[in-house]
Amino acid sequence: MKRYIIKRMLIALPMMLAVSFIAFVLINLIPADPAEVALRVNDIIPTEEAIEGMREELGLNKSYLQRYIDWLRDVLRLDFGNSYVNKNRTVIGEISRSLPATLELAGASLFIVIFVSIPIGVLCATFKDSVFDRIVRLFIFIGTAMPNYWIGILLIWLFGVKLDLLPTGGNKEEGAIILPAIALSLTYISTYVRLIRTSMLENMTENYVFYAKVRGLNDKTIILKHVLKNSLQSSITALGMSIVKLISGTVVIENIFSWPGIGRLCISSIFNRDYPVIQAYILMMGILFVLCNLIVDLVHYKLDPRLQEVM
Amino acid sequence: MKLFIMSILLITLLAGCSSGGASNTTSQDSNSNEGNTTEEVNTDELLYVNYRDIRDLNPHLYSGELFAQNLLFEGLVMITDEGIQPWLAKDWDISEDGLTYTFHIRQGVTFSDGYQFDAHAVEANIQAIYDNYDRHGWLESIRLLDGFGAIDEYTFEMKLKEPYYPLLTELAVTRPFRFLSPNSFIDGTTKDGVEGLIGTGKYVLTENHIDEYAIFDVNSSYWGEKPEINRITAKVIPDNQIRTLALEKGEIDIIFGTNMIDAETYLRFSEMEGFGASLSDPLATRMLIVNSTDEILSDVNVRQAVNAAVNREEISDGIFYGLEAPADRMLASTVPYCDVDLEGYVYSLDKANGLLDESGWKMNETTGVREKDGMSLEVEMHYNADSVTEKTIAEYLQGEMTGIGLRLNIIGEEEQAYRDRMKAGDFAITFNMSWGTPYDPHSFLGGMRMPAVYGDYAAQQGLVEVDKLHDTILKAFTSTDEIQRQAYYDYILTYLHEEAIYVPLTFERNRAIYKDKVKNVTFNPSQFEVPLERMYIK
Repeated sequence: MKRYIIKRMLIALPMMLAVSFIAFVLINLIPADPAEVALRVNDIIPTEEAIEGMREELGLNKSYLQRYIDWLRDVLRLDFGNSYVNKNRTVIGEISRSLPATLELAGASLFIVIFVSIPIGVLCATFKDSVFDRIVRLFIFIGTAMPNYWIGILLIWLFGVKLDLLPTGGNKEEGAIILPAIALSLTYISTYVRLIRTSMLENMTENYVFYAKVRGLNDKTIILKHVLKNSLQSSITALGMSIVKLISGTVVIENIFSWPGIGRLCISSIFNRDYPVIQAYILMMGILFVLCNLIVDLVHYKLDPRLQEVM
Repeated sequence: MKLFIMSILLITLLAGCSSGGASNTTSQDSNSNEGNTTEEVNTDELLYVNYRDIRDLNPHLYSGELFAQNLLFEGLVMITDEGIQPWLAKDWDISEDGLTYTFHIRQGVTFSDGYQFDAHAVEANIQAIYDNYDRHGWLESIRLLDGFGAIDEYTFEMKLKEPYYPLLTELAVTRPFRFLSPNSFIDGTTKDGVEGLIGTGKYVLTENHIDEYAIFDVNSSYWGEKPEINRITAKVIPDNQIRTLALEKGEIDIIFGTNMIDAETYLRFSEMEGFGASLSDPLATRMLIVNSTDEILSDVNVRQAVNAAVNREEISDGIFYGLEAPADRMLASTVPYCDVDLEGYVYSLDKANGLLDESGWKMNETTGVREKDGMSLEVEMHYNADSVTEKTIAEYLQGEMTGIGLRLNIIGEEEQAYRDRMKAGDFAITFNMSWGTPYDPHSFLGGMRMPAVYGDYAAQQGLVEVDKLHDTILKAFTSTDEIQRQAYYDYILTYLHEEAIYVPLTFERNRAIYKDKVKNVTFNPSQFEVPLERMYIK
């Protein structure tokens, strides 16, 4: 196990380094001159002298590689610099301020995804092709086809305005998290119900189910204790990656529901061309993907004895 | 199959319930509002909404939200419907040569932290602004500033290198000439940030939750008449549709400003029971800029043909539902110095076709596009893809221009890229707005002289008299003779009109929609201000 962990971590490190390089390069590939942008976002007329001064201030006169090394060195100390738009605010401060709200929303969505998809997926597989199964499949089809923002607006219109049950946005009022969490989770619920259903149906045809029946175990025990356990293993990879997708995928939902999270920060930074913040956001999401991938692999390794044999 | 039909029926039923709700919106709202009439109305708090955070409210910089800066900070003078009026300066004298302005400062005014507002505080603030010359260089009043200082405790003097008649207007607008307590300065200045947001204004900022909401409470030590509403909570709702839903639900009381209310929403709320809607007088001109350096558009006949081929009446009625009146000139004749005798642009395809024929552009009947020396009459037009209005107008014009054999290739771009393109002059035709009252005409025309402010400077570079035009703009600002100044403006406006660099479309009007408990929703002369302090709740 230890050897596997070390091996996986050794692979993860260069991946993170690659992510950091991509985050740096992507922003620097944008045709606009960062010095000019930094001036314009502060309403300074970008005269040649002003641009030159800003280039010096931002270190843009140095070589590309040197700039990357300097940036990476600062990043390792969690210093992403200051925002272009709000020069008094550090990027890390902006991220620390907005990340908890996003984690809260992503956490609530994950909770809904898990506690809705598993029972529905199990029921659909157990009662395959029943009326229930067909209706669920229809809703899954609709849920997958409808974009997040549209679902969000419909939820606000129905539960916020017409039924007056929940607030239309923000994160301060009681119950404010319900609608954005539902809107965010619906697409994932559709995916997971389908995944669990398919996986369970596959497992149901396996020999161990046949032997369990022969041993006289009842259907409930077979499904819940054996089939479900094996079926969920295949969903772990997808679920692990979904955590990051949920965090990074809040951009639209946070905007619709006025949720003050990192998605909102990202959108406003893109509109304001606040490059240091965008750069930090890309890097953070990239590293989160790498880390989650690593954790999922380790969990897989732990759960599946066959993998331990192969490794 | 049976199951499929049942599912469709179920969905139809659900949709039916929903649409039933939608079609009865007015009656349901009126019911809910009837219910509300028995509730106690909170007259102490106004729930305002903005599309983004209030950001950095340092009054000497430009990134804060204007409505919030206006609540906290005041200037020496104020723009009202009656013109420039005294505010923190109780009156002022202007020397005969127009070079020296002496302000007599109001006594008994303190900043909300107790710091005395006097001529020394004014001097410290003006010095802080002047320290950041690079940032304010676009302002003629900063560029022409020759000296300033406190003469005594309540007398402040400003000297100019040349006379500049819009000085008082520039001192009156929201930034940068507003006053911050010197206690809030960092190292004696404000260009690198401030430690507090302490002004002399009617409100103080008591809470700010970034990207969520900000709370402004009445300044208990305010020197003048206190406003009726004790607390203004400014919520942040970035999405247009959600903002209107929040107003409908009652989570906010008012939406104010053209960028937050489209014409359709305005009309919907103006007819909805329980809500009010207000429309300002025309404030600014919505227009196109035509780049005179473009190979095709360098010909004045082509520019004039484009102007003649625009049906402004149809744009006004069809796109703005009549809320924005058609504009036949760059600046309305009601704008100071703009009542110039010009032959307004009239929609005439015959005239447009005649002008193009005259310039040698021959119609290719096969393609429907005119040609000259092997070149097609084909022009690119950029618009802000985030603006539904610009996109609609662009698509409309694309269709209209086929009537004169001009192929308009419209390209929507992300807002910042679009602005960058405009400032860099990398366009043939693009959208533009005049700066609106009180910045028109002087700031709008002054901006034309500065490269990279907007697209004006670049677009005018192909004009034969561009240097004379820019010199005359400066002369108009510095002239002390009213008749001569008007003569300069006559030349500027006539020349730009005849050269058809601008294609005026409509005159924009500010708008507000609100719950009917909000009273006295009016508009300031400046379209960028929200007169929250004048509103009350009943």
